[in-house]
Amino acid sequence: MRLNLLLLVALLASSLVLVHTAYESRRLFSALDRERARAQALQAEHQRLQAERQIQATPARVEQVARVRLGMRVATPAVTEYVVDPLASPGQGASR
Amino acid sequence: MIGARGPGKGARATREAATGARSARLIGRGLPGARSMPNSTSPLLASRTPPGRSQFVVALVALAFVGLAARAVWVQWVDAGFYQRQGDKRVVRSEDIPAGRGRILDRHGALLATSVPAIDLVADPQAFAADGAQRRALARLAGMTPTALERRLDSPSRFVYLKRGLDAELRERIEALGLQGLRVEPSLRRSYPAGASVAPIVGLTDVEHKGLEGLELVLDGALRGRDGARTVVRDRYGRVIEQVGEPLAPLDGEDLRLSIDLAVQHHAYQRLRDAVDAQRARGGSAVVLDARSGEILALANVPSAEPTARGPAAAAARRNRALTDIFEPGSTVKPFTVALALQRGVPAGRIVDTDDGTIRIGGATIRDHRPHGPLTVAEVLQKSSNVGTVKLAQQIPSAELWAMLSAVGIGRKPALEFPGVATGVLRPHAGWRPVEHATMSYGYGLSVSLLQLARAYTVFANDGVLVAPTLRARDAGAGRVAGTRVLDAAVARQVRAMLRQAAGAGGTAPRAQALGYSVAGKTGTARKQEGKGYASGKYRASFVGLAPADDPRIVVAVLVDEPRGRVFYGGEVAAPVFAEIVQHTLRQLGVPPDLEVAPAIHAAPAVEESL
Repeated sequence: MRLNLLLLVALLASSLVLVHTAYESRRLFSALDRERARAQALQAEHQRLQAERQIQATPARVEQVARVRLGMRVATPAVTEYVVDPLASPGQGASR
Repeated sequence: MIGARGPGKGARATREAATGARSARLIGRGLPGARSMPNSTSPLLASRTPPGRSQFVVALVALAFVGLAARAVWVQWVDAGFYQRQGDKRVVRSEDIPAGRGRILDRHGALLATSVPAIDLVADPQAFAADGAQRRALARLAGMTPTALERRLDSPSRFVYLKRGLDAELRERIEALGLQGLRVEPSLRRSYPAGASVAPIVGLTDVEHKGLEGLELVLDGALRGRDGARTVVRDRYGRVIEQVGEPLAPLDGEDLRLSIDLAVQHHAYQRLRDAVDAQRARGGSAVVLDARSGEILALANVPSAEPTARGPAAAAARRNRALTDIFEPGSTVKPFTVALALQRGVPAGRIVDTDDGTIRIGGATIRDHRPHGPLTVAEVLQKSSNVGTVKLAQQIPSAELWAMLSAVGIGRKPALEFPGVATGVLRPHAGWRPVEHATMSYGYGLSVSLLQLARAYTVFANDGVLVAPTLRARDAGAGRVAGTRVLDAAVARQVRAMLRQAAGAGGTAPRAQALGYSVAGKTGTARKQEGKGYASGKYRASFVGLAPADDPRIVVAVLVDEPRGRVFYGGEVAAPVFAEIVQHTLRQLGVPPDLEVAPAIHAAPAVEESL
């Protein structure tokens, strides 16, 4: 009889813990799921920003900014002195 | 809900049954005590109750408990499946996990196509309520006309997309309107940062992210990936609280790295557009090939259209004409005839008499632009003499000429993953009449796409080896790509030297000279075919060449369609574009100039910088 009572109490306690654990696991899972969704959204946002940066840095735009705002010119061979790194490419001779 | 599915259901039923029995006993025992102790003076209550009545009540209560117990057994054991299914129907959802579509990148990793977050506007036309000003504001934000908006809303359905793929930044401004029956849903949109210059290559997708044109269409399978799936339990707020079973992970689409170099591509596109504008031409194309690997560095087409532009006119403008359109190449084919003659043992110094610049073959007369008299084989190319080429070709059997032209890829479809790649036309030599044999030798009576022409010239760039063009980046360090040997290396070098003369002073294209780099190449000016004959005053000006001439790194082909300026020759129209593209591309590739250039560096004493 005692033992039965003891078992009953143990059963009740374990049931309550079970309920609590189930609740807790659902709460945590829903939080995890929300964060996963957020991670995905941030990933997508990252891609968008990358694309945005690319749009701002198209060769045409870079060339225009360099030419107009920074007053730069294209480096033609006439204004370039070419040197060859003897360590980097031992096989190639200096062309000029 | 846990109890309904866990092992507890049996226990609960037993417990209920036991409680019923206990209370029945209590009632039975308590009754006699009440009878012996009258607690009221009312005669009605004081009278003795018949014994059968209390037993009847006890039996009724017991029966009720038995009924409850039976119902519990029914619900939890016998018909449990039904309730389980009904419960699942309300909370368990299986949903797709969408796979991300792969990106398209250029050879250095710059984005050509990528998916970015966007929003869809969804309306319930039955519940939609907005006054005129709100409707106009909404239409303006969505970038549509008010009438288009009304047309969308005029629907008996309860779910209508008003606009898809809007900028995600508009979300707040649209929600600020506070309209009933309007929802803003997150979605994805395909973005093409490189714009119109690569649109003919990359293509585009529809709102469902399905490929419609270009590489997006032909490589849709690889880019698309495979959607995943999972089964989840959601609570009444729609939050996911449990996952049932193992989810199927989505397989994202592959990223695609193209051989295109965006900087080269942009430059080629701009120079070509400038030239087409200046010549008031109908259009133009340019191809830049890496001579060693066959990688297509640039593939420009003018006109083009932004990938956001929809409709048949924009789609037609975006056609990749360098790959899909064929034309009669004209003089650009002559080097192959000359190469074949050299290969067959004609010495390069042989004098070919072009006489008065005409030759009669089977009733037809073939003419030069002007008479050149006796020419060496090299000069035949340099002056682009039709008569000289025909005289060289007359010593070659048709089968061999056909084999040569076929070996360099004329009439053979390039193995490119692209929709509508043209095969070109090279008729079987068995049916050639003598006059056709003659015209074929200088590029009439056969058709090629500009890419095929560029591919053919890799033979001269690679010492006689033809390499296959590709739109995909090859692995760096893979070395020289295996190709097909078409010519002896010595012959290829000889022809290259001739082509260098042709592009130099005294040739047909002195304007092909690039500053600092030696070039070799050949002009072509072909009358446009219209119906059965040739149209007068309509030409295609082309230039195909390689640079640097001694150790070619790139093959560049330029075609300008119907130049309407004062001049229409390939040497005047297409060659300057070639020169600019060569110069820029080689600088981009880090190839040092191989020609001396008068230095334009003027050293002046530096001015002290003021701090």
